[in-house]
Amino acid sequence: MNGIFEVNYAAFSVFAALLITEIMGAVGLLIAWPSRSKVLDYIVPVWEVTGTFGAFWVVTGDFAYPALLVPVSAIFTPLLIVFLILWVARGASISFAEFITKRGWLDEAKLFKTYAVSTIVLGLVVLVLLSALVGGQGVSLASGSFSILSWTTAGSVVFIIGTLLLAVGFAPVFFDLSALRPLVLPLAGLGVALSVISYWLMSPALITPWMAVPILLTLAAGSLYAWPRTSRVVTNKAVFLIVLSIIIFSLQSLVYPKAIGQALPIDAVTTSGPMAGAFFSMTVLGSSLLALMLALYVMVAARGPNGPDL
Amino acid sequence: MLTFVRFLFAFTIGSHILLVSTSIALILLISISEFLSIRSHDPVYEALARRLSKVFVISFGIGTASGIVMAVELVGLFPSFMTLVASTGAMVLLYAEVSAFFLEVLALVLYVYYWNSFRDRYSHWAVSLFVVAGTLLSAVFITMVNAWMNTPNGFDVSAFVSSGFKTIAGIEPFAAFLTVSTVSQVFHVLVTTIFAGTMVIGAYFAYWFVKSRDAGEKAMYSRALKVLGAIAIITVIIAGISGSEEMGSLLVNQPLKYAALDGNTVPGTNLPDRFFGSVVNGSYVGGISIPGMQALLARFETGTTNLPGLSQFPANTWPPLLVSTTFNLMTVGGLVLGLFMLVFFVSFIRKRRPYESRRLLYLWIPAAVLAMLVYQLGWATDEIGRQPWIVYNVMTVAQAANTSDALIIPGIIVILFYLAVVPTAFYFYSRVFQKSEKVALK
Repeated sequence: MNGIFEVNYAAFSVFAALLITEIMGAVGLLIAWPSRSKVLDYIVPVWEVTGTFGAFWVVTGDFAYPALLVPVSAIFTPLLIVFLILWVARGASISFAEFITKRGWLDEAKLFKTYAVSTIVLGLVVLVLLSALVGGQGVSLASGSFSILSWTTAGSVVFIIGTLLLAVGFAPVFFDLSALRPLVLPLAGLGVALSVISYWLMSPALITPWMAVPILLTLAAGSLYAWPRTSRVVTNKAVFLIVLSIIIFSLQSLVYPKAIGQALPIDAVTTSGPMAGAFFSMTVLGSSLLALMLALYVMVAARGPNGPDL
Repeated sequence: MLTFVRFLFAFTIGSHILLVSTSIALILLISISEFLSIRSHDPVYEALARRLSKVFVISFGIGTASGIVMAVELVGLFPSFMTLVASTGAMVLLYAEVSAFFLEVLALVLYVYYWNSFRDRYSHWAVSLFVVAGTLLSAVFITMVNAWMNTPNGFDVSAFVSSGFKTIAGIEPFAAFLTVSTVSQVFHVLVTTIFAGTMVIGAYFAYWFVKSRDAGEKAMYSRALKVLGAIAIITVIIAGISGSEEMGSLLVNQPLKYAALDGNTVPGTNLPDRFFGSVVNGSYVGGISIPGMQALLARFETGTTNLPGLSQFPANTWPPLLVSTTFNLMTVGGLVLGLFMLVFFVSFIRKRRPYESRRLLYLWIPAAVLAMLVYQLGWATDEIGRQPWIVYNVMTVAQAANTSDALIIPGIIVILFYLAVVPTAFYFYSRVFQKSEKVALK
């Protein structure tokens, strides 16, 4: 048990869960623009929180693994810069789109679609990065480089397809699009199967008994949506986000105790001594503040008559 | 390649602080306007706060994205520096900054998107204070990191340097919250940031006040300028005091930087303050000299303080002497802005309503350009003055930087992207504000 890893991975899990729900919304904006209000009611207040958790993950990562910063910089900088450009494009387009009034060729629809495309491509970049961190595809630790050609293996491609299927499969659940209800369980099942196959293709050592937890949770969430009477549980956005965060958190055996194709022992590169103590103190302080603000948020949001003022 | 890395980061941070300073001024104006609207039951102030809150969301969104760009760029461009940061107390500051960020974002979501859910207006206004606190604390913590770079503490520097950056011992993680330069630097950076942002936002309102023919809109611009004028007067006075404090801190803690800024080739007492000359063959030539002024400005006395000179330090540790020029431009620019705000203040106490004076408002616009220039020059002076070090007397920029050629193309894309994003952002601020619901005066 590595407490520092757990905190950093928990931050990642929440960030990834928020980003995945945004990607689901982004797909919805692209393919079903006329019924955008369901998607925007969620995305508009939340996209800034996603960014904050992204920053939280990056900073706790810097704090947790100081010895990794030089190799990470050498290996992933070009990929990270692409990520950054998409990140700014996403933030700029949605914040402009929220308040724009039509003038000339630029309007709300174009800006929200730019946001949607940037978010989806950003998600793909994150998946490339994650598959490299999990399986080590494309990464050369010896030369400190990353090659997209070497990354293109069956394992990493199936990983991306499986994850996308899961995201598309669960979009109707999150945004409660009951017309698409029959698609949820088959897509979720296929997504789970492909994801497990991709882990095996990356490295058979990644398949551990712990894998049963995310598989069962994912299938349970899909099954609950199959019946109208139980669907209310998973269509609650807070419940969905919590379950999704737990699913991602339970996938930690993919990168712990060893990451990058079992080549990097996490414990050996985790900060220790007084800095570890400082990490925990600051985490307790920051988490208390976050919990307080979230409680205030829930209190006010629950009191509001019609959701956010959009 | 090292020059490119320096330029890329300088460009990014230069763009970022432009966005951030206006963001800080905006949230102050929003919070004060809402408070005044509740106190005076003035619907114009309420409309101002509501309209600006939409602008602030855009500003926050772009500022956040840009902040994440900086966080990741630091790892990509200066990995050895970030390894040192991540292994010492500076990292605790960055972690604290993220916590402040949480405070800001969650409070902002409540403030903007749930405005109508608050029955008690003071409760809603109180949420704006959380946004203000989060915004200001983010700025404070990041400035603390910069202060730590200027006067590093909380680890055994000699063991770190002598081991070739391998041994980081004697770590005191929380020491970075209070280095010897923290108080003076945070004090100065915070007030100048607020001042620069206030002037820029004020220029926008000044322009529209002069241009608009709509009485309701003019009333709104006038109120905004009244608040911004007050903030600018207060902050420009504090900026003068804190600037002097900052020089006093440099004198003690970074004497080489002090000598380079003031163009002191040799040490001494009662040295003159010099402007716009240059160092040639070890002597300061040209420009204007004001005898005895240096110690007066840094220590409020003359003749006894020992002032450092460049000759006391090895020439290979000197910063580029261009820093003297950036410092002079900053100082003179600051004085001009101080005079402008003095005129504004005098006009205000004589009840001449300077916030509605066309003459003063026309002058506000170039003053805002000057304020942003002075602000950027201040940042440049701090950074150039620390060269060749990234962490003073510990690690040079060359030792910290990633000089891989793979950075060039993505780096150029980042620069082009910022060139597009910053003006677009300001354009949208204006457009969103102008297109929001107008004020109808009874």
